Amino acid sequence: MSRLPKGCTNVGGDIASAMEQCRELFISSFSAFGYKPFWPSALQLLETAWDRLPESIRTRLITISTPFGEPCCLRADITLAAVAYLSAHHSPEERPLRLCYSDRVYKAPQRPETYLETFQIGAELLGWEGEGADIEVLNLLLKTLDKMGLDDTHLVLGDVKIVQKAMETIPSQLAQQLISCLEKGSYSTYFKILQKSSVPQSILPFLKALPDLKGDSQVIARTENLLGSNDCLKSLKEIERAMRYLGYGNRIRFDLALARELNYYSGPIFDIYSSRLGKPLGGGGRYDGLLFKYGIFGQAIGFALDLESAAAISRFKGSRSSTIMVWPGGLSPAEAIIKAETLIARDMEVEISWSADRKESFQLTRMRDIPWWIDLLHDIAINTSNNEEYSMQTWIEGPKC
Amino acid sequence: MLTVALPTGRVMNEVIELLDSIGLPSARLKDRGRKLVLEDQNYRYILAKPMDVPLYVDHGVADLALVGSDVMWEAGASLIELIDTGMGKCRIVIAGPKELESRFIGHESELMWLKVATKYPNIADAHFSSRGVQVEIIHLHGSIELAPRLGLSDCIMDIVQTGSTLKANNLKVLANVTPVSLRLVASRKSSEFHWNEISDIVNRFRSIGR
Repeated sequence: MSRLPKGCTNVGGDIASAMEQCRELFISSFSAFGYKPFWPSALQLLETAWDRLPESIRTRLITISTPFGEPCCLRADITLAAVAYLSAHHSPEERPLRLCYSDRVYKAPQRPETYLETFQIGAELLGWEGEGADIEVLNLLLKTLDKMGLDDTHLVLGDVKIVQKAMETIPSQLAQQLISCLEKGSYSTYFKILQKSSVPQSILPFLKALPDLKGDSQVIARTENLLGSNDCLKSLKEIERAMRYLGYGNRIRFDLALARELNYYSGPIFDIYSSRLGKPLGGGGRYDGLLFKYGIFGQAIGFALDLESAAAISRFKGSRSSTIMVWPGGLSPAEAIIKAETLIARDMEVEISWSADRKESFQLTRMRDIPWWIDLLHDIAINTSNNEEYSMQTWIEGPKC
Repeated sequence: MLTVALPTGRVMNEVIELLDSIGLPSARLKDRGRKLVLEDQNYRYILAKPMDVPLYVDHGVADLALVGSDVMWEAGASLIELIDTGMGKCRIVIAGPKELESRFIGHESELMWLKVATKYPNIADAHFSSRGVQVEIIHLHGSIELAPRLGLSDCIMDIVQTGSTLKANNLKVLANVTPVSLRLVASRKSSEFHWNEISDIVNRFRSIGR
């Protein structure tokens, strides 16, 4: 047996089928809203990627040198390639650019993870202003998850502007320490630091309450009580109102202490959770700063999901194979293929058994747990679990339907 | 129902006392026998090896856990650290024979190529590499103090409470790495979806001065 490099994976069988069906559904759902499929290069030049990636990704890049001697990294993220593509191939009049993708990404694993390659599906909406873009992306995301059978998913929303606003009135070193605690989830250290520091009374109650500002939409009202009417809450309020209108009010939660990569993200950010998984299925947010680094003014929002995790809990996983085994009997291969195609035209998945032995063909079909075996020569369908036999016409009108 | 992972072993009795003190049910824990999963009122307790506790939380199997900060850092799991209970206080130190003392007082370059035996290879790697020091880390699972005596390593990185085990093995603390204590942690997912229940437990800890 050949060994794979440590941290790599081949995916086949049931989960591969589910991943493919999720991928197809995802791309078609987003394409219907004008998102164009995008296939980025697997390699990125280090000189262009390095200062444009968030630090959390930069420190995990897998670097290589091409045969042309150019220092590169394996694509750790697809957003960067999407923005580079926008800046190089699209004039300002062509914006916004909507892209969707499904591909592998490569990062050095972070303990306790062990995989260095994962499968992402995601979408980016580049170069459009206002909350409309956020709402469009979030709505499409939840609709697509629903179609995959992931209607137990929730979005947890925060906004880096709120954390930035809270920190702007305190010394920058203290702010950095507190932000670092929030990013790491070290609330006990956050409170210890806060207790020891002299923080203006005007912001202290809010900073004390920040880790506690989690839950449903009432969190927004609580925050307003603490901060007063504030512009930094505008986006979240707008998103909450719109998502409620779209019927997703109960799928939205808030965590105003959600802080990640404050130098990279620039507005609302979110994580996606399923009740059946312990870890987030993915996440995303607004990252206007990256566009600016490419000389583009405007807003960008995107997200990525882990395709393998999504597929593992999707309605496609473990769904009983609808394949039908057809046995040509005495028909020639060409005749058998034409007959098989008539079944495919009726939305059936067909596999041809080329075995010359009728009994062997039937037994192998049963062993593979394929529910129906069809003798193409005699137009007979047999249920492999109970041996019930039907004429093709009866079978098409009855049991198969 | 909240699922709480608890470390088995010598810290278990202290953990039960702690749960008692904040009013969490503990009768079944006291009478646990060989059970590793048990339910008491609105709580499910998972009893796991201390080193495994962070992983139960990281994977979302447990909502909450009481875990030593040493194993939390070693596992590298992404958890929400809610409370430092202040219990189980000890330190992670570098310890070794007295003759090694001068190398730890001098310039850090003198530490290059030391052989360090430890059950915390990740913490050891982070500690030395953040100082630009390359050492050979030998990962052991127990009786770490034996390693220098038997010539397996130059020194050890381990937790120390009173120092009596070190003394019995003719070892001396050469450098302090970090204090360690028992922490209340939550999974990121649970902190989003069960915050009210978790927050209630955090407040109970605060009310007893933790």
